[in-house]
Amino acid sequence: MTMRLNIRNSMQSLFLIGISSLALHGCKTEQQIADREPDTTSIAQVGEGVSPITTGGAKLWAENCIRCHNIRNPASLSDRQWEIVLHHMRVRANLTADEHQSILEFLKAAN
Amino acid sequence: MNTTHTYIALISLALCSGTVLGQGQPPGEATVSRAEHQALKKDFEALWAEMKAVREAQADAERALLQDASGPTWPELERIRLTQDMIEQILLETKYGESNFHVTGFAFTRFTNQEGEDSSFTAVVAPIILWELSDRLLFEAELEFGLETEDGEGKTEVELEYAHASYILNDYVTLGAGKFLTPFGIFGERLHPSWINKLPDAPMAFGHHGGLVPMSSLGAYVRGGFPIADAKANYAFYLSNGPSLNIEGHGVGTLNFENFDDINNNKAFGGRIGFLPIPEVELGYSFQFSNVTPSGFDQQADALLQSIDISYVTESDLLGGLIDVRFELVFSDVDDVAFAAEEEGHAEEGGHMEEEEEEGLEELLTFNNERSGGYFQLAYRPTKSDLEFLRKMEFVGRYGWLDLPSGAPEAFDQNRWTLGVNYWLDPSTVFKLAYEHTEIDGGDDFDAIKAMFSIGF
Repeated sequence: MTMRLNIRNSMQSLFLIGISSLALHGCKTEQQIADREPDTTSIAQVGEGVSPITTGGAKLWAENCIRCHNIRNPASLSDRQWEIVLHHMRVRANLTADEHQSILEFLKAAN
Repeated sequence: MNTTHTYIALISLALCSGTVLGQGQPPGEATVSRAEHQALKKDFEALWAEMKAVREAQADAERALLQDASGPTWPELERIRLTQDMIEQILLETKYGESNFHVTGFAFTRFTNQEGEDSSFTAVVAPIILWELSDRLLFEAELEFGLETEDGEGKTEVELEYAHASYILNDYVTLGAGKFLTPFGIFGERLHPSWINKLPDAPMAFGHHGGLVPMSSLGAYVRGGFPIADAKANYAFYLSNGPSLNIEGHGVGTLNFENFDDINNNKAFGGRIGFLPIPEVELGYSFQFSNVTPSGFDQQADALLQSIDISYVTESDLLGGLIDVRFELVFSDVDDVAFAAEEEGHAEEGGHMEEEEEEGLEELLTFNNERSGGYFQLAYRPTKSDLEFLRKMEFVGRYGWLDLPSGAPEAFDQNRWTLGVNYWLDPSTVFKLAYEHTEIDGGDDFDAIKAMFSIGF
């Protein structure tokens, strides 16, 4: 009984997530999928007053932060505070050194 | 300088000319009239005065030039002094281990109105201390202050959620030790803070009480991330004290993840491997293997926990907003052992209670100790709406379940549907309202309304 429920629930969830993922990914333009160029989505604008994503550091910042939580405005912390926070987030979010540096440079430039 | 030389040369030339002309005449013969002499003398005095004025002007110009090069003006000196003070302050602030820390965290208040229970408020504040001891050594700790009522008396409950040090060994490897959020699945380590969790409570399989997975562990870890062509992978492995098997009471057969003193010399080994084929998608597999036999228990029991997780977060132009999809599935498999049954006998249908015929032996309870649980969650926020009010709204749905072994005391399968609406005041301040419907296999279903105001700071 329990195993049947497991399988049923798992299959339902996998089906739902599969359908959702395919449908939503299909919503992207072909150009975006083909190029994977830094886009100008408004993900970063979830934080008030944040410029659209146009650079490598900004793109990495948006992609890695939004994976777990909303994106804060770069101006919400000082450069020094971002250094400390990002150093810890490098560990928590398993960022590489390059990603860490690019994101930090963007935050300082945008601050 | 050239002008001076010119004047000196002219004067010298005039004097020499007069002398030479004078020497060329016979003695006693007047060669220059008084009027001419006076005129020459007048010219000479005029030239001398002009040369003196030029030399003085030149000296003034040189003094001004020297003053500009070596002696700044008073406002300039003041500016230099202020800059020096500022640089000294920055150097002081950036001295590692003295002031390189930052306090962040979250706080919330929650209201719960659940069918069959009294409605209640609760409040929690969880400060997080981030400390940068060097450019490679970091320390991080979270304290959680909550409220609870025990025996009719209100108390403030303090819990050390985690406290660990990390050392960044190189670009792709970080080592750490202490009490850390267990990198098992994604909810416990990444999504549990109240301003990140999109609903007012945790999925049933991931709670502090009754959950199937460890939220935090005491031990050491190694972790990191690395690129694979255009994709990316990450890993985290740990060695910890591990859980112990509850062999008494209503929770018999469950795992206790809150034991901080290890129960044996066998450490739990676990970890998670994540793969991101594209930035929007992350797939993860987690495991933990441990010996969970408590001291004094005469049977051996191992536990294998496994989990898969899928995340998909993107902003859809067509749907005009941010889509956040999460799925986690957990399996817990503990070796079957015989527990001492309580006197009343809690063996449920499907369980097996052995009644020893020999007088003096207690009744034994056994069951297939396999559990599973998980959730599927979908959230949508219309971030591209023209209406500011709508951009701040978020709509969330979650289906969670918990399948428990038949025959285990007070273990009933549960399914829960949750629908929620959030209103974001800023990126880390949110008001959440949710409705829950819980179905219990063999029990009474119940509904609940939960509201939460949460701040990430």
